[in-house]
Amino acid sequence: MTTTAPLAAVIFLVTIGLVIVRPRRLTEAMAALLGAGAMVAAGLVPPGAAVGDVVGHWNILLFFVGLTGSAAVAERSGLFEGLAGAAARLSAGRPRRLLVALVAVGAIVAALLSNDAAALVLTPVVYVLVARFGLAPLPYVLACTFVADAASLALPVSNPVNVIVADRLGVSAVSLVPVLLPAAVASVAALLGCLLVIYRRELPARSPLSPAADSWASWTGVPRRLLAAFVVAVVAFGVASAMDLPLGPTMTAVWLLLLGVERTGRRRGRPLEGIGWSLLVFVAAMGILVDGLSSAGVTAWLAALVLGPVRDSPAAAMVVAAAAAAIGSNLVNNLPAAFVMADAVHGAGLSQASAHAAAIGTIIGSDLGPNLTPVGSVATLLWFVILRQRGLEVSTWSYIRVGLIVTPITILAALGVALLLGVPR
Amino acid sequence: MSAPVGAPRRVLVALAGTEDPALVAQVARVVGGRESAIELTLLHVEETGPRELAAHGLPLRSGPWPARSGDAVEQRLAEADDLRAAALLEAWHDRFAAALPDAGIAHLVARGRPEQEIVAAAGRLAADVLVLCARPRTGPTEAGPRSLGHVSRFVVDHSPVPVLVVRRSR
Repeated sequence: MTTTAPLAAVIFLVTIGLVIVRPRRLTEAMAALLGAGAMVAAGLVPPGAAVGDVVGHWNILLFFVGLTGSAAVAERSGLFEGLAGAAARLSAGRPRRLLVALVAVGAIVAALLSNDAAALVLTPVVYVLVARFGLAPLPYVLACTFVADAASLALPVSNPVNVIVADRLGVSAVSLVPVLLPAAVASVAALLGCLLVIYRRELPARSPLSPAADSWASWTGVPRRLLAAFVVAVVAFGVASAMDLPLGPTMTAVWLLLLGVERTGRRRGRPLEGIGWSLLVFVAAMGILVDGLSSAGVTAWLAALVLGPVRDSPAAAMVVAAAAAAIGSNLVNNLPAAFVMADAVHGAGLSQASAHAAAIGTIIGSDLGPNLTPVGSVATLLWFVILRQRGLEVSTWSYIRVGLIVTPITILAALGVALLLGVPR
Repeated sequence: MSAPVGAPRRVLVALAGTEDPALVAQVARVVGGRESAIELTLLHVEETGPRELAAHGLPLRSGPWPARSGDAVEQRLAEADDLRAAALLEAWHDRFAAALPDAGIAHLVARGRPEQEIVAAAGRLAADVLVLCARPRTGPTEAGPRSLGHVSRFVVDHSPVPVLVVRRSR
């Protein structure tokens, strides 16, 4: 560690504090930008290097523009309602079967359109759907939230963390898919098992209401051309990734294709609506912040502390990285945690096999970790405080218990599969 | 003064909506067949916690993605909840009307935590008896320890009026 290490650590922690507390409606992106500015002002990151950081992330940044843009097109097209409607038809009024079908839909949406699309866009759609069946929404709402994370291991597009970790480690995000996709299947299966056990007594045998089939949205709501374009986009993206083309331009091309097809139809949105600009700023600023930590020696110190003892064992490196990332995600936020962990893995001087295994572990920990417990996260505690201020009593336990049960089990399931497939023996 | 429990007039039935329809026959057996006309009030409580959760996302949603307008979403979810409440009460209305043809039936929708709203409604209406299902979502419940769900448990503990707990047994 250098003498500037405490300063860098303080800047980083204060920034994370601002991101979590958000005083005076300060956005996460602005807070991260302030922190990055402080790193530069304190001389921890030379201005030239800061610019280089942002430019160096061009691939990731373009990727997020394309991804959030594509998710916005999907939302406007009614695709989410269509998928939920299909799940409802498959379930034939049986609440348990509906839960299974919606978990499957959530997993597909999370895998192809990112975890936040599944959690933030699909959840309200599912809520309205189960209300039509007269069912209590809580099991289904929590299923959406948890499956968004459980399935987000699957592909590079499934979670921003996946691309960030791979990018910072200089590993191709696509090369991790053969391990992470089966791990995602295992974690979704584990999640489904948990939910069916947890809610075994709360889901009635039949739904109390049988809404007419046309009273909820169906595939007919999605323009055929756009549906075809989605299929083409998924296939094209798969082929381009397999050819190791850079993800950023590919994803942007997919987005432009979808936009183009959308413009030919009647339902058009503003093309730039729904792009995650704040995510872009946040990721760019976080890159500079972690660079400051890195140049002050903080991440190297962390790496020696956490990964030093397991340097020679890929399996141990994977498990330790997953645990550290999961704990870190609950203490700070999972994006910063993933950034720091990736940098630590990078600087730990691991063998190539160990670094690969540690990358997988980091992705598993920071994708699946964040739902663990409100007690472990300041952000969640604040959320409960806000709800209380608005006069809403939330029966906290019904949320906590699910996270406490589901998170360790899904992590173990994913880790088990990843250890089998991702560690050379 | 409320009427003796044997001859209830104002009956409040708390419904999650997922109860077994056999509940109606059991209620009719206990309160029906008297001279005095029965005023039946069917109460459904919309739980507002899950709506908040769905509209604003879990706090730990990973990325700082653009904030969606939670209030607009919540409005949509509130409408869905109102629709469900109305449809559920309508369905139960028909069942009770068939079993108790002479009863006057009113609907009541409350929002909040079910256990608290049920107790409050019972007091407000000065019901002669409050009817609830032991575990409205669990299938058959035999009498015995833990046979009451947490909502029924709270209501039995706090109700200002006599409570009739209906079990659905095999």
